[in-house]
Amino acid sequence: MYLRKINIWYLSSFFISIAVAIPIITVFSSFFESTSNYSDIIKNTFLYDYIFNSLSLLLGVLFLTFVIGVSCAYLVSFYKFTGSNFFKWALILSFAVPAYIYAYSLTAFFENYGTAFTILKSLFGEGNYNSQIPKFDGMFGAIVAISFSLFGYVYVLTRASFHYQSQNLIELGKNLGFSKQKSFFKIILPSARPAIVAGLSLVAMETLSDFGSVSFFGISTLTTGIYNAWISFDDLALANQLSFYLLIFILGLFVIENLSRKKAQYHSPTKGGFKKKSLTTLHGYKAILAFSFCFLIFFISFLFPVLQMLYWTIIFPKHLIDLDLISLFSNTIILVLLSSFVLISFAFISNYGNRLSRSKFLEILTTFSISGYAIPGIILAVAFITFISWFDNNIINFFELKNIKSIFIGSILGLVIVYFIRFYSLASNGIKSGYLKISYSIDESAYLLGYSKFKTFKNIHLPYLKNSILLIGILISIEVIKELPITLIMRPFNFETFATQAYIYASQDLLEAAAAPSLFLILIASFFILITSRYILKD
Amino acid sequence: MAQNFLEIENVTFAASDKNKVNNVSLNIENEGDIICLLGPSGIGKTTILRTIAGLEKIQSGRISLKNKTISSKDVHVEPENRNISLAFQDNSLFPHYNVLQNIEFGAERNIKKKKNLTINEVIKFLHLDHVKDKFPHQISSGEAQRAALARALLSKPDLLLLDEPLSNVDQSFKEEIQVKLKQVLTDLKITTIIVTHDSYEAFYLGSKCGIILDSQLKQYDDPYNVYHFPNSVEVVNFLNRGILIPAKVTGENSLENEDLGTINGNFTKHYPKGSDVQLLLQPEDLEHDDQSNLKLEVVDRKFRGTNFIYTLKTGNDLLIPVFVHSHHMHQHEVDEKFGIKRPINIDHIVCF
Repeated sequence: MYLRKINIWYLSSFFISIAVAIPIITVFSSFFESTSNYSDIIKNTFLYDYIFNSLSLLLGVLFLTFVIGVSCAYLVSFYKFTGSNFFKWALILSFAVPAYIYAYSLTAFFENYGTAFTILKSLFGEGNYNSQIPKFDGMFGAIVAISFSLFGYVYVLTRASFHYQSQNLIELGKNLGFSKQKSFFKIILPSARPAIVAGLSLVAMETLSDFGSVSFFGISTLTTGIYNAWISFDDLALANQLSFYLLIFILGLFVIENLSRKKAQYHSPTKGGFKKKSLTTLHGYKAILAFSFCFLIFFISFLFPVLQMLYWTIIFPKHLIDLDLISLFSNTIILVLLSSFVLISFAFISNYGNRLSRSKFLEILTTFSISGYAIPGIILAVAFITFISWFDNNIINFFELKNIKSIFIGSILGLVIVYFIRFYSLASNGIKSGYLKISYSIDESAYLLGYSKFKTFKNIHLPYLKNSILLIGILISIEVIKELPITLIMRPFNFETFATQAYIYASQDLLEAAAAPSLFLILIASFFILITSRYILKD
Repeated sequence: MAQNFLEIENVTFAASDKNKVNNVSLNIENEGDIICLLGPSGIGKTTILRTIAGLEKIQSGRISLKNKTISSKDVHVEPENRNISLAFQDNSLFPHYNVLQNIEFGAERNIKKKKNLTINEVIKFLHLDHVKDKFPHQISSGEAQRAALARALLSKPDLLLLDEPLSNVDQSFKEEIQVKLKQVLTDLKITTIIVTHDSYEAFYLGSKCGIILDSQLKQYDDPYNVYHFPNSVEVVNFLNRGILIPAKVTGENSLENEDLGTINGNFTKHYPKGSDVQLLLQPEDLEHDDQSNLKLEVVDRKFRGTNFIYTLKTGNDLLIPVFVHSHHMHQHEVDEKFGIKRPINIDHIVCF
């Protein structure tokens, strides 16, 4: 290939990938560093609890998200019933509710003298209802909160797979005389397996990296362990070592999935043979059951937290009035705009560099660097601080230059950089999948028509990928709005977003005060989700 | 000092170890010449075009265009600076522009060139009028191929490279487009290299044809010579327009085959009397004669519109093809006997 040489695009791509990979390298290198005495205590005592709790949480969430996600996807993909078109997109609104806000809602509703108690009291008068109201706290609460917040990943990917499943495949089942159940378990479900596993992998990564809800419910997981090692014991090396265990955990999940899949072939929507399915119309009690199930999931996952937060915001208006809405809104928007711009620009440069050079080395480096998405935000933040401290102590001090810690730590710049590392895979994969739709001969045609590399990028690629850019921008925005641990650790002093404001109130047991920022956060995220729902459901 | 319009000297074209054409030397003498490269799929024809266009580099040899070196081990002019246009075989239209806008990309380039071909003219002759407002995903592969051809033509390059330009085009338009394409290329004096696997297309469009086989340029000559005077058994087999039968040279202008008897004609090469040779027998070399005493058994009959091709079996189980005009008085069925006119006279005798 004629451009297999080092040029400006190649170098840009190389340095972007290296920059994104730094925290991962930092985490791995920490394994050889010495730690404080606290590490021995942790390793002999809490480490097993951390691992056991992380594992229990993971299994519980995986089970629940699988059942909810696949059931909903199956119903709206194969059947027509009242509201089925509405539920197709309404079910993805659960993305707008972060697990920690779901956790606040659960507690607010079911706690002693909470909203459930108030409802029962207003309906049936005074009574000792507290003992009869189930309690969603501890591990169970965390599993429910995280599952209803994350099942959307399984739902969206499985629905896409079901949607593109060829009618031929379903007709084949009928030809072979399979019952509906047998067709589902023998044909439909196995052929959607890669999508389901992809969805569950995302759920697994998000669950292992969850900080807000587990800390709210007081569960000790590897993530909270990392936070404590750093915040309470000021032991960055130990925090990194715990991160290393977590990374091994995540890596293990990928390996198991890959091994179990072996060489089985699955359907691909890009290959030929796609014939649109005819949906089965449900009548009578079956239609009512399907509607009820989807409505219940929609209600629990979205309406319930929204109504709970709305209810508290209304009955405690003081907290809304006290809220500095303009500042929270502008801070959130600044982060959204800056991160989207930086992420998309760099992802574009890197992908175009890879495309031009077609270098295997760059491809491997990029794949390695984007695994940052699998690393919990809290680890990235800690690793970034570790790296900056090391760089400042060793390199900057050596040359007797000005301290750079304050530039990168506790600053918007540092915050955006860590967002960049965390969400780079989202931007990069988004741009990459857009680029996959443009064959190389398109670029070559442009060159042969006299277009330079830059002009091809500007006049051919950018206009073609504008929809992808918009979609990626909005997805990044949703993630940034919801993001908690990185913002919490990296933000400048007194710089609050809706997410951190809600967390701060909740951690002070002021759940009613956390309601207003939570509600705004959900509403803004819902707005972005509604804009993108058409794309999310399509791809 | 190079004098030819395009010179390729000892260049090895390689996209991979499998896809390689070694040590090619080939010239296009004059501006406006059209040459065709023929060869089986996957042999490296497209790689040759991509390399000339500058999309691949070369490790040895030299390519020069208009006396300027554009590719060598040390020189590589970027594709955008070569003024060479390549119409890809697959759909390479810009997906977010409609057909007309795609074609206009071609017209934007070299707008100052004197001899002009208007967008409308090209659209008309390539039958693209009804799809000009459509987007690439809304048109057929044949239409996309014609649109790419239109774009390449309008860019009026110094050298136009066409990779199987009509492979997806409907048969009904194909011949008409071939005629107009040749006319336009000749009128505008656009030097062109066409890659194709259709020998008839190559023989019609090209003033010269190159046959690429076994990683080599086997023969580079005018179409008549390539067909009638193939220079190797491989070229004969590739063109598949005749068979080789064993014969013994019996004189200056004659040879003998056990089944067909004496065959007379002019040898293209000298062979000593008594030599055992393989004689190239093409379908048009034998004439049908119902009165002849040389009768062979019909084993197959193909109707090709203007003619029939009979496959005849000799006593030694050789299968010989023979053309017969399709208006011939009567047709022979399979298993019937078919008469061959004697003595057999072949204008030029090609042996190996």
